[in-house]
Amino acid sequence: MLTPLPPREWTPIAAAHLLNRAGFGGSPAEIHRLHCLGHSAAVAALLDADEDFDLFPAPEIAPMQRPTPGPKAQIHGAEVRALARRQTLQLRDWWLRRMRSTPNPAREKAVLFWHGHWATSIQKVRDPFLLLQQNETLRAHALGEFGPMTKEMTRDPAMIRYLDLQTSETGKPNENFSRELMELFTLGEGHYSEEDVREAARAFTGHRYNPRTGTFELAHRRHDKGVKTFLGRTGCFNGDEVVDIIVSQPRCAEFISKKLWTFYAGENPPQGLLDTLADAYRDSGLHTGNLLRRIFTSRAFYAPVIVRSQIKSPVQWLVQACKILEIPLPAAAVSLKVLTELGQTLFAPPNVKGWDGGRAWISSSTLLLRHNLAGQIVRGAGGRLQAPDIDTLIPPGAAPSSLCDALGERLFQSPMSPALRAKATTFLDGNGTSPAARRDLLHLLLSTPEFQLS
Amino acid sequence: MKPTLHTRRQFLRTSILGGAISWTVPAFLERTFFTLDAIAADSPIQTTTGKDGQILVVLQLAGGNDGLNTLVPFTDDAYFRARPRIAIPAKLTHRLTDHFGLNPNLSALKSLHDDGHLAVVQGVGYPNPNRSHFRSTEIWQTASDAHKTESHGWLGRYFDSCCQGEDPTVGVSIGNQTPQAFASQDQRGISFARPEQFRFDLSKTSDPEAADEFFRAINERDAAAMEGGSIGVLQGTPAAQGDALDFLQRATLDAVASSDKVLEITKRTKPAASYPAGQLSNSLNLVARLIGGGMPTRVYYVAQGGYDTHSNQSGSHDRLMAELDASIGAFTADLKAQGNFDRVVLMTFSEFGRRVAENTSAGTDHGAAAPLFVIGGKVQPGIHGQAPSLTQLHKGDLMHTVDFRNVYATVLSHWLGAPVAPILKRSFTTLPFIQRCGI
Repeated sequence: MLTPLPPREWTPIAAAHLLNRAGFGGSPAEIHRLHCLGHSAAVAALLDADEDFDLFPAPEIAPMQRPTPGPKAQIHGAEVRALARRQTLQLRDWWLRRMRSTPNPAREKAVLFWHGHWATSIQKVRDPFLLLQQNETLRAHALGEFGPMTKEMTRDPAMIRYLDLQTSETGKPNENFSRELMELFTLGEGHYSEEDVREAARAFTGHRYNPRTGTFELAHRRHDKGVKTFLGRTGCFNGDEVVDIIVSQPRCAEFISKKLWTFYAGENPPQGLLDTLADAYRDSGLHTGNLLRRIFTSRAFYAPVIVRSQIKSPVQWLVQACKILEIPLPAAAVSLKVLTELGQTLFAPPNVKGWDGGRAWISSSTLLLRHNLAGQIVRGAGGRLQAPDIDTLIPPGAAPSSLCDALGERLFQSPMSPALRAKATTFLDGNGTSPAARRDLLHLLLSTPEFQLS
Repeated sequence: MKPTLHTRRQFLRTSILGGAISWTVPAFLERTFFTLDAIAADSPIQTTTGKDGQILVVLQLAGGNDGLNTLVPFTDDAYFRARPRIAIPAKLTHRLTDHFGLNPNLSALKSLHDDGHLAVVQGVGYPNPNRSHFRSTEIWQTASDAHKTESHGWLGRYFDSCCQGEDPTVGVSIGNQTPQAFASQDQRGISFARPEQFRFDLSKTSDPEAADEFFRAINERDAAAMEGGSIGVLQGTPAAQGDALDFLQRATLDAVASSDKVLEITKRTKPAASYPAGQLSNSLNLVARLIGGGMPTRVYYVAQGGYDTHSNQSGSHDRLMAELDASIGAFTADLKAQGNFDRVVLMTFSEFGRRVAENTSAGTDHGAAAPLFVIGGKVQPGIHGQAPSLTQLHKGDLMHTVDFRNVYATVLSHWLGAPVAPILKRSFTTLPFIQRCGI
């Protein structure tokens, strides 16, 4: 099923599809460059790209101090909360800018996937430093092996706080993390028993972090060293050994590879494809980068039912809009407002299941918001939101038909339908080609169902 | 088993309405046909015309409202012992019974009580209470057990099970974000802070009329499109993309039709009572106008924030109570003047109550069970449920005597006429705080 795409099918539309899904899309020039590389070199360029170490210096934030109680407090709760809010905003802005401008967009896209997978929210964690740390951990493992990534997540302070591992100790194991680890992060419901949840919870007792330094520590005295029986195996397992057992289950490869395909390619893949994906993931030692290489070079990934059939997430919508309109991201507070209203606040997934995605992104309200936000992006708002250069996007005096070709390529990465072309041409004929009229057309074309698709 | 609703709807699209028209008519305009079918099949699908039918207004008190200073147990020594600085003296409260009085700022609620239009449910909470705002709000919004995570909201599940084929405006939330309570399979329910936000804003275009015409035209699947001249980007649109495009086109049509209606109603309606200044008041004013204007909405959602009163609580809590009281007072007066008071039930909730004992900053920390209000022309007035003990506490908190899902079950079955078990995932007993509706 994962047969490679024949070279003659490596078209500019295929290159655009690859850039849309593996990354966050790009301008016609970027798509052209990718296409010229040839298919396998293009995939390699995306998955193996380098990024200068200091290109995106992380915001300088330290673990949150705890407010001291009482009227003579040295550190007030309100100040701590205000600082946390500011730093969370910085953190979001830093990551979005990285998505927008990194030479390695495939890695950032994968980090976004894993953020939705290992969903952890600032609303409970409260400490932006811990989420920055988690984001860096996800980045380090995003295109690597799933097993080591899972072990890191069992030691991740943000996760420890989010799923209540901090207080889990021998005799009083907290099952929250253990349950979600199997249900949402590795195996899926129905592939473990309640007894397995309890036994694994014992193995993770003692995993905690030091709130002052924000670093993991294993509290040996709180760790339950006793014999556990887990998924049919018996031993004095610790957390790492439990992870080893989990990732060796055939089900783990099935679960993760299906989720990867759904995120990158499309919903409801046929069973035959699922089996192939799971085999490929297993054979690679659960190496996510290698599985994605197989996916991105496969013919199935470029099938007509896959291309331009995915509803953009709010992050994809915003970042891709900025890339194709060749503008910087809006100011941090503007981006936050946009993403919050559209339903995807980074570092604040709605719950431990992450974002539902797909059609769940679209409601009457969010659809109209997308259209209205498109109008603001097209026209700009001072220093907070830079308007695109309309003469580049829609050159004055260009013949309507070549204009429609160029706009179709830029906005939809494929030709406009005859009906849309006819309407766009009529609009320009009727409204003239003043800069304002061309911005109006751009606004309207960004407010089409087609623009919501990637 | 009856065929699934989805399948039946598809059947209707293709066979009753015919191919061409089904692409251009917003989904909910088909509901007349759909309802006929639903009635015939004795299905729980509900339809409102906007002129009749029960309406639920959910009012969230965000931050954790201090229940003990809302409904004051003024004869309980434990109350005064636990709160030397912030307890409300008995003589200041609006007495409802020999033991309980309303916060002194709740005078409109007291009048509603005296008129037989206020019910109070005491001790509402859930087992293994969570003290995180975020998590406890989520538990209330999704009606889940404390240790379970649900994606969809309790009202969203009501929309999914009872309002298939309805206008997206079957649920209206006033605010910038859709509450998780509305989260549903079909993404029904709309939210906006101001009606002007809920429309495709073309005011910045050089020719709004031409732009509007273009916008409507590109979202129209006319007969020509059906014959192959697809508006889709690619010729010969493949199935998956066709599905997504079709879905988006229909979502746009729904949004445009709903938006037109909201704007039309808010333009022509005026409040029939005088509202105080303030955000909650503005929200309820808008809700009253939408009700008066005949929106087919069954559930409205509004919120008032600021209840997280950790320090120097008295002044701030008093202000919140006063704002709540004045806003509800104006809202109920408005509904009465419209003649819609008997169609509406307003229910408050907060993610948790607060600790029994005040803290060292003359405030209160996150607690558990608390009372909530149910207001309307058809409530069974008085105090319902059992008051939690102030001396037998769990980790310093009141132990709940009523599960919040018993309250939801009552509202769903007695007021909205909806089946409880599919929505709350199992059945819950109901309480007698609402007169059964005629459904």
